[in-house]
Amino acid sequence: MTTVLIVDDHPTFRATARMLLEAEGYDVVGEAPDGTSGIAAAWELHPDLVLLDVNLPDLDGFSVAQRITANQGAPAVVLTSSRDSSDFGPLVAGSGARGFISKGELSGAAIAELL
Amino acid sequence: MPGLRRALIALFVVGVLFAGVDVALVLTSSHEDQKAVAAILGPLIGLGFIGTGVFAWWRRPLNRFGLLMTAVGFAWFLAALADSDTAVVATIGAYLAPLYLVLVVQLLLSFPTGRLETPAARAIVVAAYVDAFVLSLPVFLLGGDVNIGDGAPDNAFAVAHASGVADAFDVMTSIVGFGLAAATAVVLLRKRRTATPPQRRAQAPMLWTGLVVIVALGLVFGGDAIDVPDEAINVVGLVGFVAFAILPFAFLAGLVRTRYSRAGAVGGLIERLNAPDTQVSLRDALADALGDPTLQLVYWRESAGHHVNREGHRVDLPVPGSGRAFAEVERDGKRVGAIVYDAALRDDPSLVRAAAAAAALQLENERLEAELRARVEELQTSRARLVEVSMGERRRLERDLHDGAQQRLVALSLQLGLARRKLTDDPELGGRLLDAARGELDRALAELRELARGIHPAILTDRGLGAALEALAQRAPLPVDLDEMPDDRLPSAVEAAAYFVVAESLTNVAKYSGAQHASVRVDRLDGFAVVEVSDDGVGGADPAAGTGLRGLADRLAALDGRLEVHSPPGGGTVIRANIPCATCA
Repeated sequence: MTTVLIVDDHPTFRATARMLLEAEGYDVVGEAPDGTSGIAAAWELHPDLVLLDVNLPDLDGFSVAQRITANQGAPAVVLTSSRDSSDFGPLVAGSGARGFISKGELSGAAIAELL
Repeated sequence: MPGLRRALIALFVVGVLFAGVDVALVLTSSHEDQKAVAAILGPLIGLGFIGTGVFAWWRRPLNRFGLLMTAVGFAWFLAALADSDTAVVATIGAYLAPLYLVLVVQLLLSFPTGRLETPAARAIVVAAYVDAFVLSLPVFLLGGDVNIGDGAPDNAFAVAHASGVADAFDVMTSIVGFGLAAATAVVLLRKRRTATPPQRRAQAPMLWTGLVVIVALGLVFGGDAIDVPDEAINVVGLVGFVAFAILPFAFLAGLVRTRYSRAGAVGGLIERLNAPDTQVSLRDALADALGDPTLQLVYWRESAGHHVNREGHRVDLPVPGSGRAFAEVERDGKRVGAIVYDAALRDDPSLVRAAAAAAALQLENERLEAELRARVEELQTSRARLVEVSMGERRRLERDLHDGAQQRLVALSLQLGLARRKLTDDPELGGRLLDAARGELDRALAELRELARGIHPAILTDRGLGAALEALAQRAPLPVDLDEMPDDRLPSAVEAAAYFVVAESLTNVAKYSGAQHASVRVDRLDGFAVVEVSDDGVGGADPAAGTGLRGLADRLAALDGRLEVHSPPGGGTVIRANIPCATCA
């Protein structure tokens, strides 16, 4: 079962995403409300996947993605946001993340396509 | 000041009594050899000082110069006690004899303000008192020659007889006296050099006469110390004595001269200001006329309630003791501005007033220009702040949308997607998901409603200010009374501004004031809509501290309106906005 860490500052989204991913066969092993605790949790929990919000209260999601994916054997990162990917230009590609899924279109299938 | 006048007349009468005692002492003296001269000149000189001093005192009650002049007159009479045939009285007279000379030094050094303004002047006067009354004491106590005259009673203060030591002290007092006279002359000449031309003209008679007195005094002391023949000393002494006697009249001459020169200065000012295509600025013309290169003009801004300089920046009038003084300028009973000048000119306020009157018209013109500049500057500042406020509002709106409704709609979309998938294999979970989605949708709608109201409430557009404020009061978390509301509609910009004043104020009341109760009123008053929100909370609101009140002030400024905040600590808060409104009679 693919293990997932959800990093997002909105509790509503974290709860809904957990429900959705668990219903679709993922194992959500942790949640974090900001970039710093997200990086720490990624180190600690070694999930297969980090679902990472772009707009975090402390750090920018792109630099969080860079730091999580910097090492060998690091988890895969999928960026997400309620904004559209076109709002971010080339930032997604340069961040080390596997890809971007807009929050409204989040599903197990969409994630599986990127992994 | 009739009380002062009576007191001064009484003082002069006392002076006349002193003069009478003086004449009696001279006429009955067994050792005064020039009785006729002393009996006529003595009272004339003393009363000359007292009369002139009392006059100067009456004219300028705050200037201590008159007091000093009067004191010289009385001290002069005290010196005449030396003519007494009673040893104690004669010795007291001899001991106090230098007092009038010390007072003359003080008088000259403090001319024309009556105050010793430099440390050097103060040091000289203190040293002169020490020389006259401390250094001379051993001369009396050791039985020295106390200069009363031939056939006079003995020195009554002598407790020992050591005339050698006493003489040494006598010579020392003379040497110190010589040094002090020289220092005084230097200070007087320096004072003349630093005076402005009009001051120099006005001070000349007193200053030159005083210099003659001081130089002669110095020479007499110097002569005493090195035993110059008596004849030479007597000639110099006589010159000094004559100069001393005419000192009060020199002072009066200076006054007359000042009046003429000052009348001339104001006359010249009027001529200069009225000359066709005059190039000189009003400030420069006034600075020349009043002889004060540091003079400043400030203009009254009625709308702001403070003075501004030519550039339109706020300026406060000088406070007493700051070295600066000011004269208010009025035109047709209305405040125009003020002339701020060196406090040294204060000894003739009538001159500044005359100049102010002459300059009123020009000052009014410059005031209008300064007012315009100040308004332009205010508009520029408030326009820049308005742009900033509106950018900030857009940022806040974007954030509110993103964090609020958008998040709820995202969750809703995910829940609906999941519910759709679960409807067949787990209908119960599908139903729960749909319920949750419904709740999410309700919350998203509520947030959007709140946001739209923050941008511009529909009820304000549709039903006007009264209805919008009623709705606002109902939603507030504390009881809010609406005391006074306009019956009909106001211009939409005014209604919007008034609404946001109340909305922001009530938000602040709820957040910070701890108030139990608030009330709101909107009155129409002389072309203004006056919005007032008051509460019974803790007060202490500072319009400069938060962005909310300042943003309001800027929005109001764009309409030429004004925001006032009265919020004493512990005394509740009253926010009052005056919004110009064409239909508010």
